[in-house]
Amino acid sequence: MKVRGIIQKQVQCPACNTILICSGNPGEIVKVTCPSCGTLGKVTFEQTFDTPTKIVEIQSVTKTFGKFTAVDTLDLTIYTGEIYGLLGPNGSGKTTAIKLLCDLLRPNEGTIKILGEPLPCKSIMNQVGYMPQDAAIYLDNTVHENLFFFGGIYGMTKENLEKKEQEMLEFVNLQDWSDSLVSTLSGGMKHRLSLACALIHEPNLVFLDEPTVGVDPELRATFWGYFESLVKKGITVIITTHYMDEADHCSRVGLLRQGRLIADGRPRDLKKSVGVDSLEEAFLLLAGQEKS
Amino acid sequence: MRLRRIAAFSRRALLQFRHDRRTLAFVLIMPLLMILIFGYTFGGDVKDIAIEVVDYDIGIQAGTSPVLPNGLFLAQKVIDNFDTDVFSMHTNTNSRNARQIVHEGKAWAAIIFPANFTENFLSTIKTQDMSFSPKIEIYIDASNPTIAAAVIKEATQSVQIILKELSASLNISQIEMPIAIEQVYAYGGGNTRFIDYFAPGVISFAIMMVTTMITIILFVNERRNGTLQRLLVSPASESEIVVGYALAFAVIGIIQSIVVLIAAILLFDISIVGNIFLALIVILLLAFGHQGLGILLSAGAKNELQAIQFIPLILFPSILLAGLFWPIESIPSYLQPLSYIIPLRYGIDAERSIMLRGWGIGEIWVDIIVLVLFALLTLSVSVLLLKRRN
Repeated sequence: MKVRGIIQKQVQCPACNTILICSGNPGEIVKVTCPSCGTLGKVTFEQTFDTPTKIVEIQSVTKTFGKFTAVDTLDLTIYTGEIYGLLGPNGSGKTTAIKLLCDLLRPNEGTIKILGEPLPCKSIMNQVGYMPQDAAIYLDNTVHENLFFFGGIYGMTKENLEKKEQEMLEFVNLQDWSDSLVSTLSGGMKHRLSLACALIHEPNLVFLDEPTVGVDPELRATFWGYFESLVKKGITVIITTHYMDEADHCSRVGLLRQGRLIADGRPRDLKKSVGVDSLEEAFLLLAGQEKS
Repeated sequence: MRLRRIAAFSRRALLQFRHDRRTLAFVLIMPLLMILIFGYTFGGDVKDIAIEVVDYDIGIQAGTSPVLPNGLFLAQKVIDNFDTDVFSMHTNTNSRNARQIVHEGKAWAAIIFPANFTENFLSTIKTQDMSFSPKIEIYIDASNPTIAAAVIKEATQSVQIILKELSASLNISQIEMPIAIEQVYAYGGGNTRFIDYFAPGVISFAIMMVTTMITIILFVNERRNGTLQRLLVSPASESEIVVGYALAFAVIGIIQSIVVLIAAILLFDISIVGNIFLALIVILLLAFGHQGLGILLSAGAKNELQAIQFIPLILFPSILLAGLFWPIESIPSYLQPLSYIIPLRYGIDAERSIMLRGWGIGEIWVDIIVLVLFALLTLSVSVLLLKRRN
């Protein structure tokens, strides 16, 4: 029995020792090019009989605002350990979809299950991390106070908080700014702190709503480095973005257009399915097909 | 300076109002509202003061005195002359009961005429000996100096008018005030100053304003910055968020009250006769209730500018209708019912009763219950508002 579901695998380039994250179906052999040295190689994904765990299940979800349909009969399943990217232009329903998943909005139709529990369900929220599009941190508090506050509302003990605070500060490279007022930090630092606040309680599932909007290219690259390291720790990341070039970092993407999911799959599979080299082109072709 | 550029700035600013109807309404309606409220409530005469009147005067029957052949019931004449706009009178036959009613705060004064009131008046006229002069006892709650002064003024005026009439009818030169008015203080005393009366009101008012405004701005910022969304995605319940903030504001309210109280005691030597801890509990309840109100109002503001527009909405009714500066009895009677829906009224009333009358929970329980209900209502609706998902 071949089991559907994406497997992620960490491999090391034999030439330059760069660590790569590859994804594929069980039993599949995937060709890989090392981004550092260009060495070509193959990664084999072993056949598995374990069913991958569904972490998000969305069934026929529709969300309307008056006459406007923001999300239209969305069906989607996301598995543990994925970086799932919800892609689409502005107004395609990405943020609405994330807000539905976070229970900040309620669907008009359909059901959503997170970590096996149907929403609304407060008890699972301590396993969820959320980083809104804006930094969403307290500007009149220090970096340390923000981290302690957000950790505290997730029920972390003081000892645990102290340990995790250091880890998080190192993770987002803010260890020298712990006692600084957030209002004095640069925009990039605020974004990094916002990410740390979403992760301090060690969630299993993280929702990131356009975390790279308004972020310079260097910080965007840093952020994707963070997200990939989260997946290495076994955290599932669901991310929205309208930067199509970022989608190659995702293990799977869903293309949204006018609230409808027009495609869902691995970036290379989507590109291959319409015979183009970039996801942007793929999106435009798929959008055209859907329109016609 | 280019006129074209200046005109562009002006035009843009004016066009903004077309898109922000609420601010436009605020700009136009608020001054109108202010002039109306101030005009109708500001500095009016005190009216409808609840008074207990006890008339023991047996008078002088017709034909019993050659000086007063038609007889005289002087107390009744004085009572009949009281301005019924100023006094809301209730006749009582028992002076002890009347004093008790004042003591319980159900009336501001008891005016008691003794049995020999007319008789002593007649003796004074006959003998010109002031030691016979009849006495009116006014048992008065002087915790509100404005009302106390109005009671004494009205009683004195009424007596003087009657004396003038009698002097003319008896064809005698007017005797120099042969009627004594004896003031017995239920609360306060002759030395109660306006600052004593004012301080409890100011403390309550300051707590109300600061708590409401800070909460509105804080929650507007929470919504606008996205931190509220973040909190709603956390395991923290909406009631935990509301109660957490309520406690923080309660602490701020208590510190604020202590600072104001210490300043008032040290600088103005205000008198506090009641339990200061009870006064602080009332402050806490006021802070809780207005924090809830602040959260509710914050839902109607998208930014700080819109939040500021709530200030007059809260400020003017509180200043004008809650009895902060002048007694509720001085507000036109058709506006007085409005004061019952202003929670600050109950806070000010409770604080004054504690600090000036020395009352305890047994006497101010109605105020406490209203403030508890107000706090429960606003905080519960705030929780529901946060729970609301579109």
